[in-house]
Amino acid sequence: MTTLKVDSRGTSCPGPITDLIRAYRESSNGDVIELLATDPGVKADTKAWCERTKNELLNITEENDVYKVEIRIVSKRTR
Amino acid sequence: MNDIAIVGGGAGGLILASKLAKEMGDELRNGRISITIFDGSQNHEFQPGYLGVAFRGSRPSRMQRSLTQLIYPGVKLVHENCSVIDIENRYVITEKSVNRYNFDTIVVATGCLTDPGQIPGLSEANHDFHTNASKSAELYERMSRVKSGKIVVGIAGLPYKCPPSPNEGAFMADEFFAKRKMREKVEITFVTPYLRAYPAEPISEVITPMYEDRNIDIVTGFNLDYVDPQKKEILSLEGDSLEYDELILVPPHRTVDVVKKSDFVDKYGWVITDKRDMHIKDYDYAFSIGDNTNIPISKAGVEAHLQAITVASNIIEDYKGGTDKYLFTGRMQCSMETGYHQATFVVGTYERPVEKKFPSTINYVEKKFMERIYWSSLKGGYEWLFRMHFGDDYIQKISQIKPPRQISRPETQK
Repeated sequence: MTTLKVDSRGTSCPGPITDLIRAYRESSNGDVIELLATDPGVKADTKAWCERTKNELLNITEENDVYKVEIRIVSKRTR
Repeated sequence: MNDIAIVGGGAGGLILASKLAKEMGDELRNGRISITIFDGSQNHEFQPGYLGVAFRGSRPSRMQRSLTQLIYPGVKLVHENCSVIDIENRYVITEKSVNRYNFDTIVVATGCLTDPGQIPGLSEANHDFHTNASKSAELYERMSRVKSGKIVVGIAGLPYKCPPSPNEGAFMADEFFAKRKMREKVEITFVTPYLRAYPAEPISEVITPMYEDRNIDIVTGFNLDYVDPQKKEILSLEGDSLEYDELILVPPHRTVDVVKKSDFVDKYGWVITDKRDMHIKDYDYAFSIGDNTNIPISKAGVEAHLQAITVASNIIEDYKGGTDKYLFTGRMQCSMETGYHQATFVVGTYERPVEKKFPSTINYVEKKFMERIYWSSLKGGYEWLFRMHFGDDYIQKISQIKPPRQISRPETQK
């Protein structure tokens, strides 16, 4: 189980979701992706992304205009 | 002597070389500077033209010119690819030579390549219009043989070149079959790992109703895991599956080997580049432009063009001892052909979000005009038009105040 840190600060839509999708490809079930972003759209986008891909949104916090989104990967099919 | 090495003779590298050669003509003639492009390609291809080759049967040869014809007078071409780029020690080595080419300033402009091998089964099953003109012609041949069935178009993986192109593929496939009066015999499905038809919401709002009108299904949040060519099925990381008869996905892209193995790239192999002045890492004499950068912006020709202008302007300014600095504004202007001689543009900058722009025939004409002037623009032609068209987004100039000149005055008698 690993925490994958993804820094998308300074990028605007679709930067954060693009970075999230790329990190997701490298992740395994049980991993946590910790995404940092400054684009406010990241809140709605990551929520919708978790619903669509059936992964678990753990937390979204905001501090000094930086959003931290934590997602636990649970939906990957095992081949 | 200032030796400027440009690794890559794509749109960015050629435009950069042309601007330098045009504006530093005296220095070039006097041998005070040299400009050398390193590229082993015989031909340069007009990549936006692949769409027309794949879906309208345009001749691939119309999209090609010999690279040697596109080199601005005075610029040297080493007609080989580099096998080593050593920024720290300021030299490159080419594939067929053991000699080192030393440089004072380097610009890495090697572009990127399709990399279907990242996804199992994709190479075997897929036909794309991104790899080159010849592959795009193969796709047209396949499309011409389709009698009925399921066409799956979309995005196989990230990142990829030209963000609107997967959508263009879907719209052009619709046009292709509608013109042959067999549209009702084919199902077209668009798949994307994003949550909407286009990643940027304003454009997605424009094109989503067009998908509905044209009876093209959209499957969002589809993260392609692998392709099963025997079952003719694509499978997502989450276990969803989709059947196809023809698969037309944009493969994920990667940088060329010489860049990927270097020490100036991020963990995915893209060049670590400053998004404003385009310098590489902490090197003030090394720059990166175009599709090989890691900056969070579309990989497309307009960006490479404006980045080339930015870097060339700074090289010239530095050489001439000026103090102004030029920055890339993040301007993008990606055309999206929506079929039936209509197009929209994805327009924005680092500071300005993507605009909502509806398809029109005028936009289509503008796109076609760009195709007409492309070859000339590589040699610096029509630059006045680009400057006028992009206005303040063309380049950002930061004027720095020069220190006041020291004027010695005779001491006044007290």
